[in-house]
Amino acid sequence: MSGQRESSETLARKDAPRLLALLKEMKEGLDVVKSKVEAITVKVKQDKFRTAEGISYLEAKHLLLLSYCQSIVYYLLRKAKGLSIEGHPVVRNLVEIRLFLEKIRPIDKKLDYQIQKLTKAAEGGPDEIITGDKKELNKSQTEEDPLKFRPNPDMLVSKSAPEEGAGGVYRPPKFAPTAMDDDDKISKKEKQALRREKALLQQSKQNSFVNELMANFEDRPEEVREIVGAESRELTRYLAKREAKERQEEELFTRAPITRHEKKLEKHMTKSRNGLLGMTDGFHDDVKMLPLEERENDGPTEYSAMERGGKRNKKRKARF
Amino acid sequence: MADSKAVTLRTRKFMTNRLLSRRQFVIDVLHPGRANVSKSELKEKLASLYEVKDANCIFVFKFRTHFGGGKSTGFGLIYDNLDAAKKYEPKYRLIRNGLATKVEKSRKQMKERKNRAKKIRGVKKTKAGDAAKKK
Repeated sequence: MSGQRESSETLARKDAPRLLALLKEMKEGLDVVKSKVEAITVKVKQDKFRTAEGISYLEAKHLLLLSYCQSIVYYLLRKAKGLSIEGHPVVRNLVEIRLFLEKIRPIDKKLDYQIQKLTKAAEGGPDEIITGDKKELNKSQTEEDPLKFRPNPDMLVSKSAPEEGAGGVYRPPKFAPTAMDDDDKISKKEKQALRREKALLQQSKQNSFVNELMANFEDRPEEVREIVGAESRELTRYLAKREAKERQEEELFTRAPITRHEKKLEKHMTKSRNGLLGMTDGFHDDVKMLPLEERENDGPTEYSAMERGGKRNKKRKARF
Repeated sequence: MADSKAVTLRTRKFMTNRLLSRRQFVIDVLHPGRANVSKSELKEKLASLYEVKDANCIFVFKFRTHFGGGKSTGFGLIYDNLDAAKKYEPKYRLIRNGLATKVEKSRKQMKERKNRAKKIRGVKKTKAGDAAKKK
């Protein structure tokens, strides 16, 4: 017990000079405040400030700050005398006022510009009119005056004005960030290789063997559809499109209206469903997929979308 | 209804829509070897599946059979109570469920009325006005 008391005494002795300095500062601050408050009270007694229409924001802020100072002083007094402060209403008061002050800080920030302008006008108002120096006015106009928040067309920097660089080099004006693709660096061979890979991917999606493998790996529930013979390419494409459309519809919880053309297409698909249609489709494709021979540079890649013959190869007339 | 083959119901994309006080989902109906399943039958099945007290609060619509038959997909909604259903559902669906009646307006009469009203300008297009015109 005595040991603790001794340690607290040494602590007190160490902090004493600092405490003295702080108390002196506080006293000076309070003196300043006191003088100002006395001036204001004199004015109030002379009925210069009317509070009939309610207190303005700034006055409320002053009152808050004053009561905060009072509470702090009382708090320190109690501590200095050694009385406990637990559960005393002054602590609660302090916390409340602190909260208020924090809450009005954003309002303060917003009003900052207006308040500055007002104070400047209040102190320098008559002075500005008297000193009508041309030079000064010009200076304030061309420079960026932070207290002049009005549209100032003189400050506009012309976007299209070309700036002559050193040596007459034309430098285009920079508005927006652009990414520079190095398109020129990809050689023709590389481009062809890329294209071949893309075409391979497309073909493999349509190949039945690869599809089976993928279905095996993905653990999808096996959907056995009634297929008569091999499925023609037309039909698979039609079904793929329909499934994509249905997925979209489910996503949006609506249905797109069916056009006349779509109805005709569906009718055609259901009617011509004899298995023989798919027999000659892609005769060579499945064989191509299997890596039987080395076929690295096979010449120009064959695009399955546009078969040789072009328009002449259309199987049915699209005239309903 | 002779249910010779089994009809399976599956719901997907289930979502509770608190704003419209309902539950909405996509329904997959598997009916192999059978033509479409009627909406009333689907409502009964949904009522038993989701333990809905009032079968009137269930609405199913926009059913489409998949290619080849045997499977159809549509949308379903289950409202929390009848008032919410009456408030949020469009009229034609309420009529289908029997919660509202269709107002039979004769198209010909309406068109005649409109054509008569085209001749008058302003606030005078009252019923007394066109009764007089009819004479």
